[in-house]
Amino acid sequence: MRNLIAFLQRFRIFIYFVFLQVIALSFYFSYIAYPKGQFLTSTWAVSGTFLSWQNDFTKFFHLEENNATLQQENIKLRKNQLSNYVKISSELIKKNDTVYKQHYDFIPGSVINSTVTRRNNYFTLNIGSDQGVGVGMGVFSDKGIVGVVYMTSKYFSLVKSVLSENSNVDVEIQPSGLNGLLKWDGQDPQRGSVIGISSDIKLAKNSIVYTRGASGIFPKGIPVGKVEKLIPVEGRPIWNVVVKFSQEYRAIQNVYVIKNLMQEEQKKLESNIPVEDKK
Amino acid sequence: MELIILPVLRFFGVFLLQIFVLNAIEPGFGIHIMVYPLFIAILPFNYNVFSVLTLSFLLGFTIDIFSNTFGLHASAAITMALLRPTLYKYYSPRDGYDNLKQPTILDMGFRWHLMTFGALLLIHHLWFFTLESFRIDEVFVIVKKTILSGGITFVLCFILQYIFFKQEKSR
Repeated sequence: MRNLIAFLQRFRIFIYFVFLQVIALSFYFSYIAYPKGQFLTSTWAVSGTFLSWQNDFTKFFHLEENNATLQQENIKLRKNQLSNYVKISSELIKKNDTVYKQHYDFIPGSVINSTVTRRNNYFTLNIGSDQGVGVGMGVFSDKGIVGVVYMTSKYFSLVKSVLSENSNVDVEIQPSGLNGLLKWDGQDPQRGSVIGISSDIKLAKNSIVYTRGASGIFPKGIPVGKVEKLIPVEGRPIWNVVVKFSQEYRAIQNVYVIKNLMQEEQKKLESNIPVEDKK
Repeated sequence: MELIILPVLRFFGVFLLQIFVLNAIEPGFGIHIMVYPLFIAILPFNYNVFSVLTLSFLLGFTIDIFSNTFGLHASAAITMALLRPTLYKYYSPRDGYDNLKQPTILDMGFRWHLMTFGALLLIHHLWFFTLESFRIDEVFVIVKKTILSGGITFVLCFILQYIFFKQEKSR
């Protein structure tokens, strides 16, 4: 007993250190693997409020830029409006209401906190579950994809950006239509890579990479970036396609969260695939 | 009185600087400027290890909350706090430390500061970036990030100390 006390006395500092280290590391590794709750992250009400104050202050620096991008987007949308078209044939009447059904809904929000230089990067948005944001929804901006919602609280949400280890977004390269997975090696926030494209296929530089819309998180055709160069992977017949992102993630401000109204239906249908066929 | 108030003010100063200014600056090349190790390094000499550890843990954790790192900063901060007394003892002057002096560059000189704070910074950054990547094939990236970020942080801390501290009058 006396030895034990002597031991504890001698190593008390180290024991306290190990105790604190265990708290920190267990918190870190459990959150990296699976998000448990919004407590003690930037989606927590207290820290979220602080960060939105900061955003309220700093957003004025980007006001002009943001207005310009919004204006461009408005023009793009206005061009697609029905009133913009002249009816050529008087016999055909296009009725949208019954033929089309809404597939995606979009919730606007703005980024109040972001990182781009870490191994796994997250963005905090000023919208949360009260505005209809849910875990697993896709997020994009007018220039390209941003990430997937990782965690939500009442008024804030945390987005795991494509600049992280396991983002794995389904993408396709146009015009050839080849598809692969988007990865990020943790170094350059302007460039990612697409893997899974066989190296016997030739790809043109500057072909545009879009989302494929396979998993139902992103609609088909949201821009990701441009093909910059092709690097052969050693020992395997596939390309490592370097993609320059079309969205500059350091300067990201306004984003849209995608709510897929048919997600349930797609999931239900796909759950019928037998387990042995999924491999 | 000064022993309590000053560290509290510095705690909030370092915290605000890290969260609202340095987290927003991202120069690229994987550089992440972390200034809060300076707070841990310049706690007074006569603080015991337990309070240094506790303060480092608290500071690291509050920074974690605001930068979505889930305990990474806390872990690196307490590692640094544990090694602080060992390094300070190794580089102590012959007749021990003067309690009126602070462990800053102004009071202790550049050589002493480089040896202790420089080493602590490297340990802190190495621990942080290693845990962040946690992959063997990214060793070179980790080393590159550690050296670049450590260098910039050291220079920034050097400037901060000349702005915010004054030299203790020698008796």
